[in-house]
Amino acid sequence: MVRQFLTLLLAFAGGFLAVGAWIWAPKISNAMSGLVSVGPPSVSWFADANRIGRPEVAPVIKNCIFRVVDVGPDAAKMQPSAGYFILKAGSMQTSISSLAGKPEDLRSDYRTVSLAIKWAELADCIYAQDDRELCDPDNRAAMVEATTKFFAFAQQAEASKPPISAGEAQAIENSKGKLLGALKNHRRYGTLVAADFSSFASPEISRVLREEKQTRDICKR
Amino acid sequence: MDFLKRAAFVVGGIFLGINLINYFVLGHTGDYLPGGERMGEWKQANIREACYPALESPERDPLLPQLTTTQHRIDWQDLTRAKEMTAALNCYLVTHPNAVCERNNRAYIVDYINRYFAKVDEMMSTAKRYGEGEVSTVRNLWDSPRNRAITAALIQNTSNGRLIKADFGWSVPMAMKPMLDRYKGTTDNCPRA
Repeated sequence: MVRQFLTLLLAFAGGFLAVGAWIWAPKISNAMSGLVSVGPPSVSWFADANRIGRPEVAPVIKNCIFRVVDVGPDAAKMQPSAGYFILKAGSMQTSISSLAGKPEDLRSDYRTVSLAIKWAELADCIYAQDDRELCDPDNRAAMVEATTKFFAFAQQAEASKPPISAGEAQAIENSKGKLLGALKNHRRYGTLVAADFSSFASPEISRVLREEKQTRDICKR
Repeated sequence: MDFLKRAAFVVGGIFLGINLINYFVLGHTGDYLPGGERMGEWKQANIREACYPALESPERDPLLPQLTTTQHRIDWQDLTRAKEMTAALNCYLVTHPNAVCERNNRAYIVDYINRYFAKVDEMMSTAKRYGEGEVSTVRNLWDSPRNRAITAALIQNTSNGRLIKADFGWSVPMAMKPMLDRYKGTTDNCPRA
């Protein structure tokens, strides 16, 4: 009797999971790609620890973060990792609001565009450093995170309703072109490999990593 | 019988799960310290509240851990935690030298000593990935005047039996093992009521 009841229960649970997964799969998938802009999954969970380190303590962050995060005169007293935390916390709040289905308004669109631009500026500053700087695992992690987050916010901004202004769309498009160019170079130099990025990275990033081939390894000594 | 086995398995799983969440997620490591005559209830320790003022603005205390260089890979959260933990333990052991004699306080302080050394070990192990320079930066960080006062207080508390190996149970910090072994069997000199 108990066995029959358990079988029925299992069958019901299995059916519910199968049907539920079919119905909610697109939502779950969207939520997962949204999560890329929330926390650590920007970098691959399966990346080699010798390749991907801790972005918050990366030396390139020291050089770049206070050009992006304006904390006024406190910048001199503040640790760069704290500045990086401020940027990530702001990104997290916007992503959670978007995941929770908060009604879209002009302010939230502005926040998304502004975050996309901030991450693009950070990525741009990181890519402007000496190429070999990015062989350091922490610097590489910062580069991967900034690039992934920019593309995630850009995607979110482009999909917003009502659409963002033409000027903002152009700014995002310009940053995309610039960062994809830099990404291609680093893919060729061997500073970046596909395994450094999480599987939730944007299709543009995945395409570059798939199509471009490594021609040399500037990190090899 | 089969049903009983399954039920026991489920109950065991729930018990284990609750304890794992309590230890690793909620961080109530003090619940797993040995009990007995010497150790009370860490949640009822008065020293905890008595030391709140010491934790109000640790950044103003120049004797707490400070960075000696700007070239480092220490996260600001670790730096803040190092300052807070040092300020707290300094208050528990140095500012209130007799607090450890009360059984509830002792349970709380022993748990805090474990956390303090766990943080030192965690930061040292992260630093090792970056080489000798970073290890030296972290070592200097944890060698502030307040940290040295804590070490002196720990040596004194073990030498006079106020802290013994049995208080720590199975979780004796590596840094404390030599001093606890050295003064094994010492009876405490706490003032008797």
